[in-house]
Amino acid sequence: MSTETMKRPRSAAPGAAGAGKLSFHGVLRSEFIKFFSLPSTMILILATLVVMVGFSALGAWGIGRSMAMFASNPEMAAQMGDVNELSASLPASGLVFAQLIIGALAVMVMSSEFATGSARSTFVAAPTRQPVFWAKMLLVTVVSAVVALASILLAYLMAKPIAENYKLPLDFASEAFQRNLWFGVLYVVMVSLIGLALGTLLKNSAGGIVVLAALFFVLPIAIGGLSGIISWLADAARFLPDSAGSALMKMPGAANALEPLAAGLVVGAWIVVPLAAAAVLLQRRDI
Amino acid sequence: MITAEALTKNYGTKRAVDGVTFTVQPGKVTGFLGPNGAGKSTTMRMIVGLDRPSFGNVTVNGRRYAEHAAPLREVGALLEAKSVHRSRSARTHLRALAATHSIPNTRVDEVIELTGLGAVATKKVGGFSLGMGQRLGIAVALLGDPQTLILDEPVNGLDPEGVLWVRNLARHQASQGKTVFISSHLMSEMALTADHLIVIGRGRIIADAPIDAVIGGGNVPTCMVKTDSAEDLMNALAAENVQLTRMDAQTIQVAGLDGRAIATRALDRQILLYELTPVKQSLEEAYMALTQDEVEYRSHAGTDMDAAISGKQAQR
Repeated sequence: MSTETMKRPRSAAPGAAGAGKLSFHGVLRSEFIKFFSLPSTMILILATLVVMVGFSALGAWGIGRSMAMFASNPEMAAQMGDVNELSASLPASGLVFAQLIIGALAVMVMSSEFATGSARSTFVAAPTRQPVFWAKMLLVTVVSAVVALASILLAYLMAKPIAENYKLPLDFASEAFQRNLWFGVLYVVMVSLIGLALGTLLKNSAGGIVVLAALFFVLPIAIGGLSGIISWLADAARFLPDSAGSALMKMPGAANALEPLAAGLVVGAWIVVPLAAAAVLLQRRDI
Repeated sequence: MITAEALTKNYGTKRAVDGVTFTVQPGKVTGFLGPNGAGKSTTMRMIVGLDRPSFGNVTVNGRRYAEHAAPLREVGALLEAKSVHRSRSARTHLRALAATHSIPNTRVDEVIELTGLGAVATKKVGGFSLGMGQRLGIAVALLGDPQTLILDEPVNGLDPEGVLWVRNLARHQASQGKTVFISSHLMSEMALTADHLIVIGRGRIIADAPIDAVIGGGNVPTCMVKTDSAEDLMNALAAENVQLTRMDAQTIQVAGLDGRAIATRALDRQILLYELTPVKQSLEEAYMALTQDEVEYRSHAGTDMDAAISGKQAQR
């Protein structure tokens, strides 16, 4: 291959020698350089870690105190639910807010290109467009998975001594914790990929983040409120991405949650459908 | 070589580019001239695939831009200055773009030096002046050492030294056999830089010719002549299709005869001429004449008002 490249006549700019063709590997490297060269990236990742660790520690302390208070009152303690489940969910409890931070970061991976005009540079360099989208998809998946995994583990380390202090069962090897850990990571990846799709579809940071927040915060609350009046809404609410995603983290058979297989399929659909729509529109529209 | 065939772009109901057909030849600087909103930028965006043509097609060296294996090495484009994230440094921006084609960082440093960005390369682009933004845009265009350069209004916001630099860069690239396509609404700049002109107005090509032809084209040869025997000369030259204007005691403006014809007739009558100057229409005048009816956003003031009104009447 190298002999062929060397034989090919090439205009003589000394530094350009060895310059190659457009490749997916190159586009992926380009996206990583762009992503980690922005100060906002590190700020949002740090914010995620802080929120996750903070929630976990506060939760452990709060639940520990409650359990201690209820120790003499078995009836009250029973109302707290399964203590094993409760403690195991502590390290991932911050996801409620952290999801929006990572989600916003994912929205901006694409929308900032359009907001700043750098999309012109990006898509002139890679005019087939799809490699850019796939590279961003891979970037968002890897970054959100690593950040989610690291933050849940950090949160676990933070909550562990507090939980021990109150004799709460928080065991790394337990099925309940492992479920929360890995499906928590999947949940965050889903939120991020929906965010990337929204950023691509709307080409606008504020719009993408607002729609993402609406999907994960406003819609569940609104539907929850209305489901008292319209009964089938409660059923429908289980198919929202946050319900389906957190159903996987809960113990199978939990109230108001889809079965694991169904929940997995719904989560898959929430990942694939918006991304496919975004990929098609990115190809069709003008930059 | 850039080849556009019946290239058309509609934005909703508005037709920005209307069936333009042209070729941009290698080894020359081709100016793309037209008033604001004439369709220059849209045409350039279609060449590099940012905008999809509504109809027709455009190729670079025989292929659509996106079909090239190494697009950045084929075409370098400056479309709008500051096509960069504000929080990124110039060097990182260039490094990220270079990465897509595995262009080494040594080339990044080269174009930074070449465009005079050395001192600000690690600063955030958000703080750049318009001129610095233009230089970064040109650095991006040069990154892949491309065969074809497309520069949309490259001298906007540049200081005189920068303008001269862009002019020399364009001429140098063309002299190396590369295709150079530069848009501008500054006719004076094009007169100094371009070999060939494509003039566009309201999305249509109005002229596509060597720059001399555009300046001289369409109007009769005109000379300024000085002689002490003005009356005799006027009698000698008087003919149909020849327009004589007495400027002062010694000076006559002759339209309709070239210098040789005037001198020949003067010699026949033994009339001494001591000045014979061809009067070239300036590019400004040629351009104004060409785009008279094609200006979309005319300022409604003074004589322009009359032109606009007569234009409307003509449409009826």
